[in-house]
Amino acid sequence: MKRRLWQLFGPLVCAGVLVLGVLLAPLPLGRLSDSAVASAALSMSPNVLAGARAKNQALSRDYVPFFGSSELSRLDPFHPAVLAAKYHRSYRPFLVGAAGTQSLTHFLTDQSMLKQLRHKKAVFIVSMQWFTRRGQDPRAFDFFYSPLETVTWLLAAKNTVADRYAARRLLTMRAPSKDAQLHGALLTVAAGQPLGDTARQLLRTRLQMLKNEDELFSRFGVNAHEREVAAGEKLLPNQATNSQLDALAEQAGVTHTRSNQLGIDDTFYRTRLANGRMAKLAGSQKHFDYRFGPEYSDFQLLLSQFAKHDIDVQFIIPPINAKWAAYTGLSQAKYAQAVEKLKTQLKGQGFKRVLDLSQDGGQPYFMQDTIHIGWRGWVKVDKVVAPFLDGKRQPVHYMLNDHFFTKSWRQAVVGG
Amino acid sequence: MAIDTTVLNILQDLTGEDFSARGDENLFDAGLLDSMDTVQLLLALQDELSINVPVSEFDRSEWETPNKIIAKVASLS
Amino acid sequence: MIDWQPYANPQYFVVLLAALVPLIIGLYHGRRLHIYETLASLLFIVMMFTGTKWHEGFALIGYVVFQVALVQGYARYRQTHNGTAVFVLAVLASIAPLAVVKLTPAIAVHPSILGFLGISYLTFKSVQCVMELRDGTIKRLPALSFLRFLLFMPTISSGPIDRYRRFEADYAQVPTQAAYVEMLGRALRYLFTGFVYKYLLGYVFGTLLLPQVAHAALVRGGLSWPLVGYMYTYSMYLFFDFAGYSLFAVAISLVMGIDTPMNFNRPFLAGNIKDFWNRWHMSLSFWFRDFVFMRVTFFIMKHKLIKNRIRVSQVAYLINFLVMGFWHGVTWYYIVYGLFHAGAIIINDLWLRYKKRHKAQLPHNRWTQALAIFITFNVVCFSFLIFSGFLDQLWFSPMHH
Repeated sequence: MKRRLWQLFGPLVCAGVLVLGVLLAPLPLGRLSDSAVASAALSMSPNVLAGARAKNQALSRDYVPFFGSSELSRLDPFHPAVLAAKYHRSYRPFLVGAAGTQSLTHFLTDQSMLKQLRHKKAVFIVSMQWFTRRGQDPRAFDFFYSPLETVTWLLAAKNTVADRYAARRLLTMRAPSKDAQLHGALLTVAAGQPLGDTARQLLRTRLQMLKNEDELFSRFGVNAHEREVAAGEKLLPNQATNSQLDALAEQAGVTHTRSNQLGIDDTFYRTRLANGRMAKLAGSQKHFDYRFGPEYSDFQLLLSQFAKHDIDVQFIIPPINAKWAAYTGLSQAKYAQAVEKLKTQLKGQGFKRVLDLSQDGGQPYFMQDTIHIGWRGWVKVDKVVAPFLDGKRQPVHYMLNDHFFTKSWRQAVVGG
Repeated sequence: MAIDTTVLNILQDLTGEDFSARGDENLFDAGLLDSMDTVQLLLALQDELSINVPVSEFDRSEWETPNKIIAKVASLS
Repeated sequence: MIDWQPYANPQYFVVLLAALVPLIIGLYHGRRLHIYETLASLLFIVMMFTGTKWHEGFALIGYVVFQVALVQGYARYRQTHNGTAVFVLAVLASIAPLAVVKLTPAIAVHPSILGFLGISYLTFKSVQCVMELRDGTIKRLPALSFLRFLLFMPTISSGPIDRYRRFEADYAQVPTQAAYVEMLGRALRYLFTGFVYKYLLGYVFGTLLLPQVAHAALVRGGLSWPLVGYMYTYSMYLFFDFAGYSLFAVAISLVMGIDTPMNFNRPFLAGNIKDFWNRWHMSLSFWFRDFVFMRVTFFIMKHKLIKNRIRVSQVAYLINFLVMGFWHGVTWYYIVYGLFHAGAIIINDLWLRYKKRHKAQLPHNRWTQALAIFITFNVVCFSFLIFSGFLDQLWFSPMHH
């Protein structure tokens, strides 16, 4: 009978031991090939963003994180990744973000990178479209949600205004609340209590499992964008000044916006706006208002991290296509107030590097479509970003203010 | 008339085949008998042998070959 | 928090199997721990209906009290009498709660307060007992045995539908050690096949692919290739999800020393519709065969309501599948699904008879068999497209975008 039992259940026991071993043993961190890192840097795939391995290995080489959202995927010839590759810059952008990533997602995505980013530089493209009344879209949050980064943050969390606020915000999202272990830990941090020894130990075990999962599986499902970059490189001359690039960008814009009067890329227009859809959108953004909401405090979470780790960050505030804004009835006055409020939050705390492009939405071929920077817009970004990243690191002096975590700031109106 | 001849006659009526030498053939697997035929079989048994077989009594595994049917009918009569 | 819905996630299995350990040790040593088994089963049933589902829990209690009283009452009556009217009344009363629950959504906004997860499956068991009491194949039906059968935990929410006499015989008899070890071996195999079915393939078809093809089909509207894609994707999802679930239920039954019947036997390899129903959701289709189809034909033929034998079977199929359609729910697509299968099986019967008459002329080889499987598969998938209710969404509800 013992023999028969072993025949039946032996394989199960062996499989169980193997699975546990693979999940819990500290696997050797294999080095990713340069091409794998290059691919990950361009992929903007959820598993790359939510993982740690590719990000860490990239930062230990010459990559600089470019945080943002959907505009990062506009890989035209003037995109930072193309320019950096073509002109052999001293840096390579690691694209962190995709459509749907907002401050709260970036806050988590950062966690595993913070150690390596200490005393270094980063670029952050912040979209005013994030700053809605509701803030972070919960479905998008779930889509990019990373248990690995959440556990990393929980193990480092302290009883500070920022960490308590972060825990409360994460508890309003579905994915972390559905996870019993993390839900409990988040409640503890939100209440300002220290995590117990057992809870910490369990979180560390979980972290090991998640790291191993990331080690084993992060190489799969990486979207390939190398071809787009290579195609872009082919269209660029071997040497060009910024103003020469600007002229080329204008030409590119002209050839790609023949189908409409709004200066919108033909493909975008054909697939998203043509066939009668435009009529419905007239005046559709009359009630859009980016001046209030949780995003301002979520964004403050990022700022406090950047400050604590002494990271020099170049912020970029992209404009909205002016013709599009006029057509959809978006209030320029409210939009300007929102930008003003964000700049107050940044500059008031010592974040001096802010490239405010919000007034450039009327410049021809600056935007690739409705709200996404493209062609000439990217060239203008490069004019500031390239010298910043190529140059020597300058000291920064940040003065964090917890007022930005309060409701009164979220509701505040800034500017005339 | 003996039970076995009666059963074999009924089966021949239902399927058109003679089972007198094929007593252990599985009638359901071979597609020779279906639910419809079984009901007819039960009714025929009632008419010809006046044994009452309720539908609940009909468990396919006990009625799947001519020999099994004969044994079952014998036990019920 | 673990999800206490049966077999909903991997944690559930860990907790359930851990709770069953004393029972396993007992059965291995030739003893059934009656009290422990009852308490553990009750605990898991109670947990199913906690939280937001508490009202369903009360509905379940009310339902069980009613059925026990009804079936016990009929069993007592049946010892001395055998009136047809009383029998018919008992069957109708037994079906009444389910009928109310199924009819309510068709006439009211809110679901019936009598409803709970698993009511259909309990009704099958209860009606079956009433019918077998009538036939005299069940002579004694102690309340406790009936309850144990009705509320058997592994199959309470979605079957497979066992038969009282079979179940009771299993329960009364503890398997030998060697037999029990083999049962555990089968349980293990079913569990892991179930994991592959439900959590891998069911997930791929149901969670990853289905929403995409559904969206594509809704965007196109009308008849389109994505709609065809939806039909096959949904069929695969339906099979792997439900077959996986059934495998879990059978596996846990086996661990508890009960050999619950299987529900699926490679249904997509069926060579015709009749064959399909002998392979798909078998415990349900056999239930319908034994308690609806055969009884309807028996009744019609005994009372000579219809002379023509072929006509009898056609009427019986129609009634059988129509009842099955209504059982799924009172919506047009479930009823059309029932009618569609009735039509398919009637045509199938005509064809089989034609084939029998023309045996000599018709070729029969592996190519014709492959063709038969192919045709059956597509007919079945089309019926599942009706069943899915997707056509209702496609044709009758405007898109919400």
